[in-house]
Amino acid sequence: MLIELHKKLKDLLELAVYIKDIKGEDFSSIGNLYENLLEFYHNFYEIPPERISSLINDYEATLKKILLKAEETLNPYEIVKITRHPQRFTLLDILENVYDSYMELGGDGELNIDPAIICAKALISRRVGDEVYFHQVMVIGHEKGHGEEFRRGGSAAPWGNEKALRYMKMAETEGIPIHFYIFTPGAYPIEDYPGAAQQIARNLFYMSKLSVPTISFISEGGSGGAEAIGLTDLRLMAEKGYYSVISPEGAAAIEAKLKDGRPPRELVEKMAKALKLTAKDNLQLGTIDRIIPEPPLGARRKDYDFFKRLKYEMIKATDEVVLQTRSLKMFRKYALSKQTPESFSYFVNWELSEDEKEILIENRYKKYREMTRWAILEPKGFFKSIAQKGAQLGQSIAYEVKYRVLKSSHKTFKKFWEDLASESSLLLKPVSDPIKTVYNLIVGKKVRTKIRMPGEIESESDFYVSPLALQDKTVTCPQAEKYGCPDLWVPDLYGEFCGVCPNCGYHFPLEYHWYINNLFDKGSVKTFNDEISSGNPLNFEGYAEKLKKAREETGLNSALLSFEAKIGGISIVAVMLVADFRQGTVGVAEGEKFIRAIELAKISRRPFIALVHTTGGIRIHEGTMGVVQMPRCTMAVRDYVDSGGLYIVIYDNNSYAGPVASFLGSAPYQFALKSTRLGFAGPRVIFETTGQPVPPDYHSVENALKRGHIQGIWDRRELRKKLFFALLTMGGPNLYYR
Amino acid sequence: MKDKVLIANRGEIAIRIMEACEALGLEYVAVYTKEDEESLHVRLAKKKYRISDYRDMNDLLAVADEEKCTAIHPGYGFLSENYRFARRVVKRERPLIWIGPSWEAIRDLGNKLYMKKVAYQLGIPVIPGSIEPIYNEIEAELKAEEILELAQEEGFQEVSFLVKAVAGGGGMGIEEVKNLEEIRPVFRKLRAYAKRLFGDEGIIIEIKIPVFQHLEVQILGSKHDEYVHFGTRNCTIQSPFRQKRIELAPGFCENISYEFDPKKVEEEIIQHSLNLAKHFNYDSVGTFEWLVTPEGKYYLMEVNTRIQVENEISAKISFIKNKPVNLLKEQIKVAFGEKLGYSQRDIEFRGISLEFRLIAEDTKRGFIPLSGVITKFDYRDYPWLTIRTHVPKDKPYTIPTQFDPNLALAIIYGENFNDLMEKSKRFLNEVVIEGKTFKGEPLATNINFLKEKLSDVYKFLAV
Repeated sequence: MLIELHKKLKDLLELAVYIKDIKGEDFSSIGNLYENLLEFYHNFYEIPPERISSLINDYEATLKKILLKAEETLNPYEIVKITRHPQRFTLLDILENVYDSYMELGGDGELNIDPAIICAKALISRRVGDEVYFHQVMVIGHEKGHGEEFRRGGSAAPWGNEKALRYMKMAETEGIPIHFYIFTPGAYPIEDYPGAAQQIARNLFYMSKLSVPTISFISEGGSGGAEAIGLTDLRLMAEKGYYSVISPEGAAAIEAKLKDGRPPRELVEKMAKALKLTAKDNLQLGTIDRIIPEPPLGARRKDYDFFKRLKYEMIKATDEVVLQTRSLKMFRKYALSKQTPESFSYFVNWELSEDEKEILIENRYKKYREMTRWAILEPKGFFKSIAQKGAQLGQSIAYEVKYRVLKSSHKTFKKFWEDLASESSLLLKPVSDPIKTVYNLIVGKKVRTKIRMPGEIESESDFYVSPLALQDKTVTCPQAEKYGCPDLWVPDLYGEFCGVCPNCGYHFPLEYHWYINNLFDKGSVKTFNDEISSGNPLNFEGYAEKLKKAREETGLNSALLSFEAKIGGISIVAVMLVADFRQGTVGVAEGEKFIRAIELAKISRRPFIALVHTTGGIRIHEGTMGVVQMPRCTMAVRDYVDSGGLYIVIYDNNSYAGPVASFLGSAPYQFALKSTRLGFAGPRVIFETTGQPVPPDYHSVENALKRGHIQGIWDRRELRKKLFFALLTMGGPNLYYR
Repeated sequence: MKDKVLIANRGEIAIRIMEACEALGLEYVAVYTKEDEESLHVRLAKKKYRISDYRDMNDLLAVADEEKCTAIHPGYGFLSENYRFARRVVKRERPLIWIGPSWEAIRDLGNKLYMKKVAYQLGIPVIPGSIEPIYNEIEAELKAEEILELAQEEGFQEVSFLVKAVAGGGGMGIEEVKNLEEIRPVFRKLRAYAKRLFGDEGIIIEIKIPVFQHLEVQILGSKHDEYVHFGTRNCTIQSPFRQKRIELAPGFCENISYEFDPKKVEEEIIQHSLNLAKHFNYDSVGTFEWLVTPEGKYYLMEVNTRIQVENEISAKISFIKNKPVNLLKEQIKVAFGEKLGYSQRDIEFRGISLEFRLIAEDTKRGFIPLSGVITKFDYRDYPWLTIRTHVPKDKPYTIPTQFDPNLALAIIYGENFNDLMEKSKRFLNEVVIEGKTFKGEPLATNINFLKEKLSDVYKFLAV
């Protein structure tokens, strides 16, 4: 009896610590209460037993009152603290309490590929009447541990995300649904193989066409780390969870332009509010689908009611996803309404047929395609939009007829002709490799007729002259000490040398106009969707002014240019992230423009090129609206690549974070110019997270090449030539000129 | 304001430019590097600056600005054919006069392939071969077959090919191929080499002219659309690394019998050279190099857009209105925008002239340039002999290792061929160059090589 009371007291003590940690010592004198409780706890066996019971009841009542009051006054930053608290439930608690049995894959405990990621084969059961049905599911998620060091607070290392991908594939093979649980402050920002950014991109790319139902549950959704396992058919979120583009501390450090040290607490709280990171906010923004209610101040590891509810929600969500591939909308709604938290009225088989898998993937694409579209500003009247839709439809039909109907017969004939030609050439002249011969001849001819090789001298007026070149002065190459480079005359450097030191190959940064003017055939660049711009979806203080300033300074409406152009006569669709506009960060408008451009490339069967002048990541002022551009755009990439196109990414200057970890990093062909800095997180973030200083060449292209991120290092002086050869030799069979 | 010339070169050409400037009444500034402190051009210069390197544009322009120079003479070698430097000189905020052709001409004529293409389009004979870069081996093989047919039509026997990297030069990125089967492997090898070394994969294929004479035409153009020539030179006698050793003017000799009409060939190559010069609005001194075969066929090889080392032999045999010529003076005058003041009809050619390049090199061991200290440099003065050198006669001179090892140019003038040969032999027998290498061995020179080769002048030679 006494032992039970002691146990209860211990629970109360834990609750007091919890409230104190979250609300602070001064909240309703919780600090004092905690001191008293602690004293009580220490002197437990000296106090007369008859008093203990009433004392405990008193304390319980007080704590409950405080708890309710705390819940009422809960602010976003306190929610962040809840999700980070060691007493909060973790994935292992869920596996114990929600699932009937489970087995960890890829190691458990410390003996693990990555202890921050848990993959488990689990059984989840439902009762329908007297029958009990078991479903197999794959559970993949982050494990924060209750303060265990080796879990790194749920920060998945690159190989942790790779492990997640491996078991996703396994679930796909076995045809069982996947439940993802996101408990991460962000991915662990190290670039060791397979590379933080690269692996997240790979995961997203694969998840966008995973042919099994996927459900995610977000408790702590830290930007890219969350997305690595967050592209799912249905996204649930804990009521006291947060889902954000950056931690409030990180945002505050950026806002205060801090180089090091801690940002002031008021600013952090302000940021937590401004980032709109709570479940309610995210539901409003449309980045999640449903909120799972939690007890006051959040569920902890012993809140069994919560786990029961979670189990019900997970089953129901999976049912919903499965039913969406099957039945009519009306029936589906009715059927789902019959499933109540108390009991299930019928059983849904979670296995999908081939047709259903297709619908599933289609539904997923539609869902992400629509996400955040409401936040785009696009001046458009009703008639104009109708006309545009009509034109789009007409265009896609025209392309369809041109390439699918006419081109295929043409292709068959061409193939026949090629066979014939190569055979006759075999008779005429013994050549070792007839197919190669024909191919090379075609390539060779194209080179001669279509492109002007750099050896040729072009007249002066053909060149775009960078405004940087209009000064009579010299600059010193930053690598002069190492390679003994002579000082460079600015007009030569930014003119003929394309901003490259001829001695050591160091690339100086150039403005984005240089690329637009010098890479493509003269006069072939036509931009489109220029008018699309981001609003201020979060009503982030000061963001509207910053956007306005950027618009005025650059004359652009977003950081992403999308345009049609030609290289050596080959028509392409391209996008370019521009440094001048808010450091090339990606928000709603940039994502939408990217998707529209790549969709255009898909229907017109043209190659798609993404030039990265610089990208600083996802724009924090658009919060999760920006973050979901990662899965959105990656899905479009996957769709395009699978349709047999050619997607090439070229990095220059600084390319970091979200975009690299998604729609850029998932490209089959990625190249970087020589002086690019490429990676997931900047040196400062790495140092703060890992405590390890970053070597200066950590983000160099050489290292990016070594860890398999890029396929090659290019020189800016021959970018046009390289691109042209890439267009001729790479890519799928569905390009219009194949 | 008085014009002032920055002499951006060293050695004997710097001295010649100084003399020309003095004769024209121009001020000048010389530059030198640490290694050249002993050189005569430093001793003779009234105003001089020490710089880090003759190739350092920033240093040169800093000196020019410091001294308020108005023009810059690049001489030969170093930056003389660097169109970027020429462009920078005229395009900077305080532009200088570039004593040399326009930077566009340097660029376009310096690009051998482009020059060849233009020449071909103008109907000027070029060495049979591709005039566009080739990027793949099938094309290369087809091209080689085509060239072979063409060469056989032209009467070449035992044709071999030269496979060259477009961006190469000076013996780099060039390989001889004897038969068609080898084209592909050599092409692949050279393409990889060119890509690695020059960053440009372009390859051209030409036939190799087996036996030839190396002739060149000395052209002078002004900014007023005037063009004259100062005859031809014969530079067939070269070191194995295609470095000229003996040059003669004029290009053909009356005492030798040819299978063709030398007068006609000379006239034609001069006319072609002038046509090409006009096409590029060439406004300075320049040399157009030709290969002439024993059958009297001739092909344009390349254009040197600068003053040549051997310019003085042309000057020696040319007389403008009966007065001797100094091509450096002419070059400086046209650079400042002056008219020529004479036409081709005023230029007469008399006599015959020869130039020896005296070099410290081991002709028996692969023509390795030698370094060391010259203790004695002696020759007898004659009215028909001009010595151009930066080596002081009065004290020991250490040959710097970083520059080309030319010690002196001996220019000899004769009334006719036999007279010239006699004088040349006498000079070679009398000249004394003594010294020691750093190892203590006696310093070898190419005097014996020159003596041997004297019998080969005006002959068609096989390489």
